[in-house]
Amino acid sequence: MSRAERLADEELMPLIGEKDPDAFEVFYDRHGGVAYSLAYRIVGERGAAEDVTQEAFISIWRSGARYDAARGSVRTWMLGIVRNRAIDALRSKSGKAPKLDFDDDSILEHRPAVEQTESEALQRETAKEVRGVLEELPGEQAKVIQLAYFGGFSHSEIAGMLGVPLGTVKGRMRLGLEKIRGELAEGLT
Amino acid sequence: MSENGHEGRRDELAAYLLGALEAGEAAELERHLAGCEECRTELEWLRPAVQLLPESVPRVEAPPKLRGRLMEQVRSEAGSAAAPRRTRSRSARYWSLRPLAGLAALVLVIAAVAAYAIDSGDSGGSNTTTVVAGQSPGVVAEVVRQGGSGTLHLANLHQLPRDEVLQAWVEKEGRVVTAKTLFVPNQDGTASTTIDDLEGVNTVMVTAEPRGGSVQPTSPPIVSVAMPQ
Repeated sequence: MSRAERLADEELMPLIGEKDPDAFEVFYDRHGGVAYSLAYRIVGERGAAEDVTQEAFISIWRSGARYDAARGSVRTWMLGIVRNRAIDALRSKSGKAPKLDFDDDSILEHRPAVEQTESEALQRETAKEVRGVLEELPGEQAKVIQLAYFGGFSHSEIAGMLGVPLGTVKGRMRLGLEKIRGELAEGLT
Repeated sequence: MSENGHEGRRDELAAYLLGALEAGEAAELERHLAGCEECRTELEWLRPAVQLLPESVPRVEAPPKLRGRLMEQVRSEAGSAAAPRRTRSRSARYWSLRPLAGLAALVLVIAAVAAYAIDSGDSGGSNTTTVVAGQSPGVVAEVVRQGGSGTLHLANLHQLPRDEVLQAWVEKEGRVVTAKTLFVPNQDGTASTTIDDLEGVNTVMVTAEPRGGSVQPTSPPIVSVAMPQ
């Protein structure tokens, strides 16, 4: 392993902030796969997913020093950036004004250390387990969550698409997230 | 219950975390959150559920050309001539281990082990302490202390799943903090890592963590070596 490979993500970020390409390469090798997968899931085209992933990582390369470890894990921060860029690409393509800005700092709010630790533990759940929980959700709850997170639709847009009241959409979002949170938190406390 | 109270806002928390509120609605909710601890608590409780959503997507292999294009741009911006020289210099100075090829998905033997000092002192003029921990047939750990730092050697390790690494931790004054290095077993089941600061350390531990490491241990220790004071 190279020196950079031995470093935790949080230790890589200062090196990336100092424009160390080796540190960035390790960072990409760790997270490029899930980043591209997320971008592809949102935009649905390989070429567009490549563009989104490249834009997101270049953004991180140029602003790596802005990452604040007190505000959450690097991976969560990075995936938030990818998601925002992908949703913006999706909305631009469909002729809609970008709904999300590029304020990467807003992706993670400050959280107490104990919550960060819990989030780290939650990240250890495999993608299969997360998918399993999503599949167990009532269809109407899973649908509104996916339309919002992966489709970038607002709750009012979703209400219009599904022909249900706005309050119903918000309620389904809450119930669905509560179930995901409850299922994946089992065993942590 | 008033719509302006937290009961009226509960459903909006999920929509907010999912990015589904309009800008004005989000701003209004944020003003409410500033003065409502109950809603803030619920928001933070729900947040990991949203953070896990991107982990659920089916993995699609990124095209190698993307990596090449990205690194080309990065190295160009870093300075086409300086970056490779700096990289080689740093790598040679710190580490000389070869990258592990074909790291297969295997499982680590989990063994909490007791430690004992087998040698301590300054024989030969060196300030070296060796602590060995072992629980045959489990993992064997050895900490070779040199002054304020040391090297942790592990043996009888099984290989890790591809998405995990070993992370070293030290317990000092009742707090467990990362030793800031990640490593993986060699193909012969051995592994070594440097512990930069052993001053005041009571215990050296190793856990299996996701690639990139963790802020705090998220799994039971594979080894736990008590350091003599």
